[in-house]
Amino acid sequence: MNTRRMVSLGLLILILLISGCAGTTSSEKTKTLTLWYWNRSLDDELIKSVEQKFPGIRINAQKIGGDFKSKLKTTLAAGSGGPDIVAFNDWVAELFTSSDRFYDLYELGAKEIEPDFLDWKWKLGVTPEGSMIALPIDTGPTALYYRADLFEEAGLPSEPDDVYAQINTWDQYFEAGLKLQEHFDNKVKMLDNITNIYTQINAQSDHIYFAEDGSFIGESPESSMKTAWDTAVTASQMKLSANTTTSSSEWNAAMNNGRIASFVGAVWMKEILMQAAPDTSGKWKVARAPGGDGNNGGSFLAIMKTSKYPQEAFDVMKYIQNPENQVQSFKKINLFPSATEALDAPVMKETEEFFGNQATGEVFSESARNVKPAYFGGKYANLNGIVNRELSSVALEGKNPDKAWKDALARVKKELLR
Amino acid sequence: MFKWKSILLHLGLIAGLLLSIFPFYWLLVMATRTTSDIYSFPPKLWFGPHLLDNVSRVLSSIDFFGAFWNTLFVAAACTLLVLFFDSLAGFTFAKFQFPGKKWLFVLLLATMMAPAQLSLVPSFVIMAEFGWVGSYKALIIPGMVNAFGIFWIRQYAQESVPSELLDAGKIDGCGFFRLYWNISLPILRPALSFLAAFTFIGVWNDYLWPLIILNDESKFTLQVALSSLNGIYTTDYSMVIAGTLLAVIPLIVMFLFISKQFISDIAAGAIKS
Amino acid sequence: MDNPLLNHTPVEHKPVPKKSKSQDRLSAQIWKHRKEYLAISPFYILFAIFGLFPIAFSMFLSFQKWDGIGEMTFNGLNNYQFMLTDPEFWRAVGNTLLIWIYSTIPMLFIALVVAFLLNASFVRFRTFFRIGYFLPNVTSLVAVAIVFGTVFSNNYGLLNYILSLFGLNSVEWLNKTWGIQLAISVMVIWRWAGYNAIIYLAGLQSIPTVLYEAAKIDGASGIQSFFKITIPNLRPIILFTVITSTIGGMQIFTEPQVLVGNDGGVSGGGLTIVLYLYREAFVNNYFGYGAAVGWGMFVLIALFSIVNWKMVQGNPSND
Repeated sequence: MNTRRMVSLGLLILILLISGCAGTTSSEKTKTLTLWYWNRSLDDELIKSVEQKFPGIRINAQKIGGDFKSKLKTTLAAGSGGPDIVAFNDWVAELFTSSDRFYDLYELGAKEIEPDFLDWKWKLGVTPEGSMIALPIDTGPTALYYRADLFEEAGLPSEPDDVYAQINTWDQYFEAGLKLQEHFDNKVKMLDNITNIYTQINAQSDHIYFAEDGSFIGESPESSMKTAWDTAVTASQMKLSANTTTSSSEWNAAMNNGRIASFVGAVWMKEILMQAAPDTSGKWKVARAPGGDGNNGGSFLAIMKTSKYPQEAFDVMKYIQNPENQVQSFKKINLFPSATEALDAPVMKETEEFFGNQATGEVFSESARNVKPAYFGGKYANLNGIVNRELSSVALEGKNPDKAWKDALARVKKELLR
Repeated sequence: MFKWKSILLHLGLIAGLLLSIFPFYWLLVMATRTTSDIYSFPPKLWFGPHLLDNVSRVLSSIDFFGAFWNTLFVAAACTLLVLFFDSLAGFTFAKFQFPGKKWLFVLLLATMMAPAQLSLVPSFVIMAEFGWVGSYKALIIPGMVNAFGIFWIRQYAQESVPSELLDAGKIDGCGFFRLYWNISLPILRPALSFLAAFTFIGVWNDYLWPLIILNDESKFTLQVALSSLNGIYTTDYSMVIAGTLLAVIPLIVMFLFISKQFISDIAAGAIKS
Repeated sequence: MDNPLLNHTPVEHKPVPKKSKSQDRLSAQIWKHRKEYLAISPFYILFAIFGLFPIAFSMFLSFQKWDGIGEMTFNGLNNYQFMLTDPEFWRAVGNTLLIWIYSTIPMLFIALVVAFLLNASFVRFRTFFRIGYFLPNVTSLVAVAIVFGTVFSNNYGLLNYILSLFGLNSVEWLNKTWGIQLAISVMVIWRWAGYNAIIYLAGLQSIPTVLYEAAKIDGASGIQSFFKITIPNLRPIILFTVITSTIGGMQIFTEPQVLVGNDGGVSGGGLTIVLYLYREAFVNNYFGYGAAVGWGMFVLIALFSIVNWKMVQGNPSND
């Protein structure tokens, strides 16, 4: 029978093949550094240039998509099989409790280059105990993205400087929103969603959920948590939100169809917006955000304790992240620099057609300089998730805001005990 | 009258078919457009001019053909092994009595009920212990026999393999293996074809486990290689979709080839012979 | 359930002498059936190597507090207690059951009808239809999610566009619990109906045509022979699809994740049990808790499978 012959032949070949597939062996002279990163978290050509710059070092760069974090966590949990150099996203603080799994970069010479970097960004990679586990890659300074044409039509200021001068606080921003929505008969909404408001206000603050000793400060007056909550709820009650989840297909379509007039977002939203809303090209502008400058996102590089060549790995990282290369990476793949010097580079003054020939780099550089150093803590994302879920209930299901706040706080406290 | 009924049924089948292939058609359209086009409204439902551009970006970003051969090897290996081991076990469960059979079968079903996400970490620990991290062994060997296929073959063999035929075989002096290999396998062909198609597709599209196991770009399977196209802040969806569709073509060809085997020419006369 | 005429076992049942000790009898029995045990052994050997440790490990883990990297600390029954008192867990259970009902019943029904039609002798272009109906199962889900996202989009979706053509109000599908659940169910039906149809089609091939011919001679109509011949003979196959889609449906994960994200979308309508497990373990770093949820889920699936088996089969101990 046809089937049977195929199966038996196949099995035979297979046995030969499997017994033949042995692990790869690397040559002994060159030192191989394995690097895990995402697409566009580092410039591929820059990585390739490392081997010319450092003879004797081979870079085995593994671009890992989608579930990067799952792969990293599984590897860390199993305790073996990891790379030498690994990229982190803004969840770097989640790894602070296991800082012993990574080299302290201060011991490898990080102190020397510390002055080159933005102070607040650098601190995000340093544990409260003072060991530095991650070197900055890029930053995500925030600003207000707005449709200058719609602002102008509604009688609002439309030049970035005027917008910054007149729409300086969240209250002023919401007032302007009412005016704009009235003008457009509510066909245009002022902002995309209220969880973004909540996140952005916290991103502008230096005290969010945790003090550096790990204690919860959400209920103390210095924390921005309650203010951010109240402000977000106000936006919902004033019906300023289009209730579209950031970068969902709904959001993209709403942007492209001009249904949303503004949002506060990090510099990397630029690319998302340009891809989502090509029909609105030239109509957008960027101004310093109401409520102050902040940071949202940005990644890091770390060296795993299992690496055999930590010093070499650090030298490579130092090279990749030197100010010149950061400027290049910004030019090529829009990674906003974390090196202070790079913020003054001529490329920041280049105008962009999509943003009505504004040089948005100037706004974001200014924002980046003014971010306050904040401590996020390992459970930042957990708490943000809890509060966001309650905020969604307020915005979409009409849940009573006071009840939602109580529920959120109760759930947060439960979370802290886990 | 018969003709009308036939036309009506064909129309029904075609309507279902259109619903079934519409999303796929739309993916084809998206692969010929730019990422911005994908989110435009009203949606663009006809082909655009960017197919070659998208495909060439896929081919320049990842080693598509290398990943293709890797995936083909892993998928073919798993499929062959699964066909053999699952059909042998399924046939045995369906047609023979032995002590403990019931509980062994319940255990087999129970293993299907644990979510795969649960065993991700411990499975990786085992592979690290064996030194199989980064090797195809970690993909092929744990997947070479599965409860799903055994269950399937058992259910299929119960009705389709007539016990009379096996009895007759025994009288003719067939041993256990020949009852399986010479008498039952030909009858099981439609079931084996389905199992082959399903296993092959499953391995071909498997993503999370290969992503975690494989550590060398030259060994990446297609889905792992394609996933590396996802960017940190933005993703070029038209390119990702073009890559996804390229990866699906071999599956369609394979299915075309296997599909003929679904129709059995034996069932009709099985009992008579 | 087996038809006694078609399916008696070829193994002889010789009465065993009553005198021998039961243990001897058992080992003799086992020795006698060594070939059968050998034939099924690969699965159990692999399970012992690759399956037992993860199960034991996750059992152990479910009593620990572990963030996945640092030290484990014994946590007693706290994980289970948290699970049973967490409204989100119960919500996930409810969501999973609802999505299972919305998707599985129509899916299996459609599959059965399609398979029956594709098996009918007068249907033309059968290969073409088979491929068309199987196509959704071949396509990787991540790309498909983009399509379904655009179909169900709140203001700009294809579905709302179609509704507007008929003068109906648009629906904010993905901002509503039931809308999210409907979207996920449609995705599941779309992906798996054709797959189940192919299974039924293979099953239909195993029914001897002589049975139909005999029924025709006796004057049975098409519908009569469908219920009298097709359904009873297809029973083991139907049982297979019911059990696998019960297990698959309880473990539904990728569809909601790619469509509405790790939180299950607005108001958590798409938060299924495995999505909850994944979020708690891999996003929120509670690996011990994730293991406990996995065990809770195992119990649920087992109970649910037994109920379903009974419903299709009559008596589970029979088979």
